[in-house]
Amino acid sequence: AAEPWPENAALYQQLKEEQILLSDNASSLAVQAFLQMCNLPIRVVCRANAEYMSPSGKVPFIHVGNQVVSELGPIVQFVKAKGHSLSDGLDEVQKAEMKAYMELVNNMLLTAELYLQWCDDVTVEEITHPRYGSPYPWPLNHILSYQKQWEVRRKMKAIGWAGKTLQQVLEDVDQCCQALSQRLGTQPYFFNKQPTELDALVFGHLFTILTTQLTTDELSEKVKHYSNLTAFCRRIEQQYFEGNDKESSSTAAARSAKKSLLR
Amino acid sequence: MAAPMELRCWGGGWGLPSVHPESLTVMAYAKFSGAPLAVNTINNSWRAPKGDVPVLISEDIVISQPAKILNFLRKQQYNADYELSAKQGADTLAYIALVEEKLLPSLLHTFWVDAENYCSVTKPWFASRIAFPLNLYLPGKMSREALNRILLTRGGPPFYSLTEVEAQIYRDAKECLNLLSKRLGTSQFFFGDTPTTLDAFVFGFLAPIYKVCFPRVHLQEHLKQLPNLCRFCDDILTCYFRLTASGHSPTGQDTADANLQKLTQLVNKESNLIEKMDDNLRKSPQHPPRRLKTLKLAAGGEESSPLNRLSP
Repeated sequence: AAEPWPENAALYQQLKEEQILLSDNASSLAVQAFLQMCNLPIRVVCRANAEYMSPSGKVPFIHVGNQVVSELGPIVQFVKAKGHSLSDGLDEVQKAEMKAYMELVNNMLLTAELYLQWCDDVTVEEITHPRYGSPYPWPLNHILSYQKQWEVRRKMKAIGWAGKTLQQVLEDVDQCCQALSQRLGTQPYFFNKQPTELDALVFGHLFTILTTQLTTDELSEKVKHYSNLTAFCRRIEQQYFEGNDKESSSTAAARSAKKSLLR
Repeated sequence: MAAPMELRCWGGGWGLPSVHPESLTVMAYAKFSGAPLAVNTINNSWRAPKGDVPVLISEDIVISQPAKILNFLRKQQYNADYELSAKQGADTLAYIALVEEKLLPSLLHTFWVDAENYCSVTKPWFASRIAFPLNLYLPGKMSREALNRILLTRGGPPFYSLTEVEAQIYRDAKECLNLLSKRLGTSQFFFGDTPTTLDAFVFGFLAPIYKVCFPRVHLQEHLKQLPNLCRFCDDILTCYFRLTASGHSPTGQDTADANLQKLTQLVNKESNLIEKMDDNLRKSPQHPPRRLKTLKLAAGGEESSPLNRLSP
């Protein structure tokens, strides 16, 4: 039997101002957007050790009642089991397409974000290392950063991204954005009138890319090139995040020194 | 094109032009777009495969990954996606990502990680095509790389043992096959009547699962329950890859027929000569009459359909 959604459901992520990185912020924002679209209240709790608390080692994770679920895929299924779903109105072929596009975003955008954060030396030195280990004292901050970097680089090597240059990665991002832009066309959401988890995922990644200041602007330039994508992000931000009393992503973005608002 | 482009890749078996998914994808795309490719399969020579396979060599340019090879072919005006709309092009990218994320781990597992499959089928097949002493080392390395890739992309908490990871990747693969089947529906190819890049990729990944005979085959059994995907693979094999297990094109079959005819004629001549000799001998009084058996022409084993040649 589906229990009703409790009032004190919490979403855990890393510290927004100092610690969280581009890819984690994108994933967290995607989950927040999804829950907002389902009209399920959630409060965002920032903890330095969120990554270690998570059952799968990845952020964000939600704590609902006495269950803990992490990552967008399992969260969507969990929410569905509770009786809320955004993709029920889709037919089988559309569901297949939605899953395919979500894999595309994960495969290309998320991997590109990880590459940029952990394999591009300039970004690693100036942004990632200082941010990732910031809550911890020396030498733990260095050790944890290097450990994570080694892990991510190993994964990049296994999937064949280690040999790519930054330019090639940016081209892949461009290709992915082009595909998303063509699929979105002039519709308000990817599956016309109603938002789905795909919209939440795309919003999470694109909004984060557009509003995070990195060493170069090349990544956000790639996204800005497609005007329907920026309009899409603005629309979702206005509809689901503004006028929100709790810490919303846009107001937090304004406060954070490392982010520049999309205007 | 000044010189034809050369593709070095793994060879075929079990009715397929290649058993390696990426090589098969490139070959299928070349057939769909009409690109003239001279396919050189890696055989037991000292030019060992270095780095990635398949490799496209065109004049002096060497390109190695399937996506890059396809891009290169498109730039050379061999474009199979010419008639696709922008949205269909976007769908292509999305479905390719789906197949790579969900289907590839279990494909790698079936070929390289599952112990029974690896020892009885994959390792002997690949080892027989690599020169000594690399054949002792390279299959093992490919197996370790496959396991590594599976564990790094899919392993980790909450899966704490390989069996749990295996269960999850096979579940994902079956779901992916179901999704592909729903998307394909009743049409011949994914985007109507002409095959495109997506068809090449899906064919490259599905055909090895479908055709290669392994001892442990639950993914193949699941695939066989989706008749439209099986029909899709068979259609491409019969339309675009006639008789390619031994690399023969249809003209190859004609020369084989011509050879067969010549052989038949020769044997018939021989048998006529022998009959004449036999008559002479009978007419001669010293020898008792004997009947020589007439030579029957047995269908030459080598001329039989190459498709059956490598069947296990």
